[in-house]
Amino acid sequence: MASPNGLICFTNCLLPHEDGSLVEKDLWIDERRGVILDAQRTFFLRKERPAKIIDLGGNILSPGLMDIQINGAYGFDFSVFEGDEEAYRNGLKHVAEKIVETGVTSLVPTIITQEKSLYPTILNLLRPYHSEHSANLLGWHAEGPFIQLAKRGAHAPQFLQPATDGFESFESVYGPDNLAHKEDWLMACEGHGTEVGVRIITAAPEIDGVKAGVEEAVKRGVVFSIGHSIATTDIAAAAVLSGARLITHLFNAMPQLHHRDPSIIGLLGSSPHLSVPSSPSKTTFGPIPQLPTPPSLSKRLAALGTTGPKATSEAFDDLMTPPQTPILAAIDREITLKKGTTVPMQFERPFYELIVDGIHSHPNSVRLAYSAFPEGCILITDAMKILDPHLADGIHEWRDGKRFVKEGDKLYLEGTDTLAGSVVTLDKCVRNFSRFTGCSLGEAIKCATFNPAKCLGIENRKGTLRPGADADLVVLDRRGYPQSTWVKGKEVWARA
Amino acid sequence: MRLIIRDDAAAVGQYIGDYICKRINDFKPTPDRPFVLGLPTGSSPIPTYKRLIKLVKEGKLSFKHVVTFNMDEYVGLPEDHPESYHTFMFREFFSHIDIPPNQVNILNGNAKDLISECNSYEAKIASYGGIELFLGGIGEDGHIAFNEPGSSLSSRTRIKTLAYDTILANARFFDNDISKVPRMALTVGVKTVLDSKEVIVVVTGQRKALALSKAIEEGVNHLWTLSALQMHPWALIVVDEDATAELHVKTVKYFKSIERVQDEVEAMHAQFRLYQSSTLPLVDGKGMPKNNVSEMEWDEWYEHLVDHHLA
Repeated sequence: MASPNGLICFTNCLLPHEDGSLVEKDLWIDERRGVILDAQRTFFLRKERPAKIIDLGGNILSPGLMDIQINGAYGFDFSVFEGDEEAYRNGLKHVAEKIVETGVTSLVPTIITQEKSLYPTILNLLRPYHSEHSANLLGWHAEGPFIQLAKRGAHAPQFLQPATDGFESFESVYGPDNLAHKEDWLMACEGHGTEVGVRIITAAPEIDGVKAGVEEAVKRGVVFSIGHSIATTDIAAAAVLSGARLITHLFNAMPQLHHRDPSIIGLLGSSPHLSVPSSPSKTTFGPIPQLPTPPSLSKRLAALGTTGPKATSEAFDDLMTPPQTPILAAIDREITLKKGTTVPMQFERPFYELIVDGIHSHPNSVRLAYSAFPEGCILITDAMKILDPHLADGIHEWRDGKRFVKEGDKLYLEGTDTLAGSVVTLDKCVRNFSRFTGCSLGEAIKCATFNPAKCLGIENRKGTLRPGADADLVVLDRRGYPQSTWVKGKEVWARA
Repeated sequence: MRLIIRDDAAAVGQYIGDYICKRINDFKPTPDRPFVLGLPTGSSPIPTYKRLIKLVKEGKLSFKHVVTFNMDEYVGLPEDHPESYHTFMFREFFSHIDIPPNQVNILNGNAKDLISECNSYEAKIASYGGIELFLGGIGEDGHIAFNEPGSSLSSRTRIKTLAYDTILANARFFDNDISKVPRMALTVGVKTVLDSKEVIVVVTGQRKALALSKAIEEGVNHLWTLSALQMHPWALIVVDEDATAELHVKTVKYFKSIERVQDEVEAMHAQFRLYQSSTLPLVDGKGMPKNNVSEMEWDEWYEHLVDHHLA
């Protein structure tokens, strides 16, 4: 039932604001253009008010949830391309249409390391997409192949490679068209010239050539995420200065937090007062102390032996005791005298992804990360194709004759206790997150809406209720369960 | 003038809200004959707006055929500024009720020609045959709308420079920085308010107590512009207990006694209207139906009503 003048007012609802608060306020949208309205402007300047009013009975009207790392769902695996483009597109469409029942209105399909020749085709198929009844596919997230063998997880070791020629290596793998400047890339998306689109590359900054490669990729509008890596704190910090904006599934596929060298996780605690190695400071006290060299990668890799690590228990296969704490040059800056204020940071701490299924990260770890840097927290599912809230527990076919055992949110390979990925839905991650951290539902929602949008630089259009943003919405009850989902101003799903 | 005293600001809001609701419903507004309502901003009217919103949501009141005129607006403040009166009215009232946007009138403080903006505002009010009911609040210095102390009591809509007191009082809405408070406003004049058929002023809180006493216990004085209300034939001031702090005990007692008598008069008046329209089944002294009202004199009928219906 459309509104006679195309405008809808949602009333009697709580709106999540960008600061994490929930505010009782109406929201006006234009269902024809599919955008959120500046209600006051509409009233005084356009002299219109919505002809249709929807009473949400005190529920929460949130921006639609956004999953920036998801490997597949509803039986379709984004990483499996068998030569039939039509079948692949139908698979994408199927996921986009079904996923809205989990409150997700935008997702970034993620592909794990592929055989090199497949990339240009798959990435080309993963251009932004949205239909009348589906969530938005925003683009692609390529995990690999420039990742660390020692932290490869489920990635096929034979396809991993260094980026010896920097950006040229990137182009030769992903395809030059897929790494075109953002504007050109978006323009080339058929009929979608003005759509929002994102590209994410997860790579390990310590891998040869990655730093040079991502610097150029970042200039072209690609988001660089640190992941599947054994980077030391120094290398990780340098990667941030080279443009990294994100950490892929924090705690997973990276060295664990060691107090002498907290590695990638340590970026969340970056001191605002200390310089970082690759940003030579001009105002230091006396000579800059010699920074200890990180142990050579070859040495660390050698420690692995010839068989390589088992991909099964990454959390516990740390390489060796990290070196002594590097002594960083202190900068001669004022110390703040005002409680509650922090001096400006040397560099912006990156956003970080958390899988909040209660399995991939301990609730305490989730809370620890969130306490350190709440503004950077992004909830993801990292879900496998088996994700489907209607799927019963039990044994399910996977691929190559292997079979999954699904037990609640736990997924492991039949006959083993090896975790085979996640099957948690994003709406459940939001609820879990509130419980694990004690934060309010509004703050948890922010981590699955505004924070990922901000990380990807699309916070004017997605993950927000700002006027002019797309009317991608999810109605959640006060316990965080989705009741209905809206994409571009149209209801695409409602709880039966 | 009448003065109604209620326990607190919420009760004041409820009283005025219910009163305005009754006035609009009794008026039976139509598209051709809308109810014209004057409205204020500020913290005092918020409980009244809350009450009116509740009545609209309960379906007991509609603003479909109500035309509103706001009292004032800052000059030079963007319309979508969080402290503009456009923003205030939309946030606190208009977004929650069913008023059509083209029936809302607020002065444009960003108009190129401010004088003609004011003149056309007056003309527009006149085109509706004047304002039926003007709701107002006052400042600590007794100003009604932005008619600061010293304003002419026969003033019309015009540009006003804000008094230093007002700028100081409003600084709390502008980061406590008086340099950010607009210096000028467009406002309806005292005479514009007095020209409306009925005026209701809400005065709550102890900070307004002195202004209330100056306005009703002393003479008409342009230094307390609210006092001009003494010249209005149908004016109602609704206050909370705190606002009576500077009044004489005698004044308070007097108005409280008036309210009781007023209730009785109103009840009687209501019956008189019924009598005139003869909608009640009337009976004569022997309990027999009496079809011809004119056969029964008013005082006879009223006596009968009091005995049989109001007892």
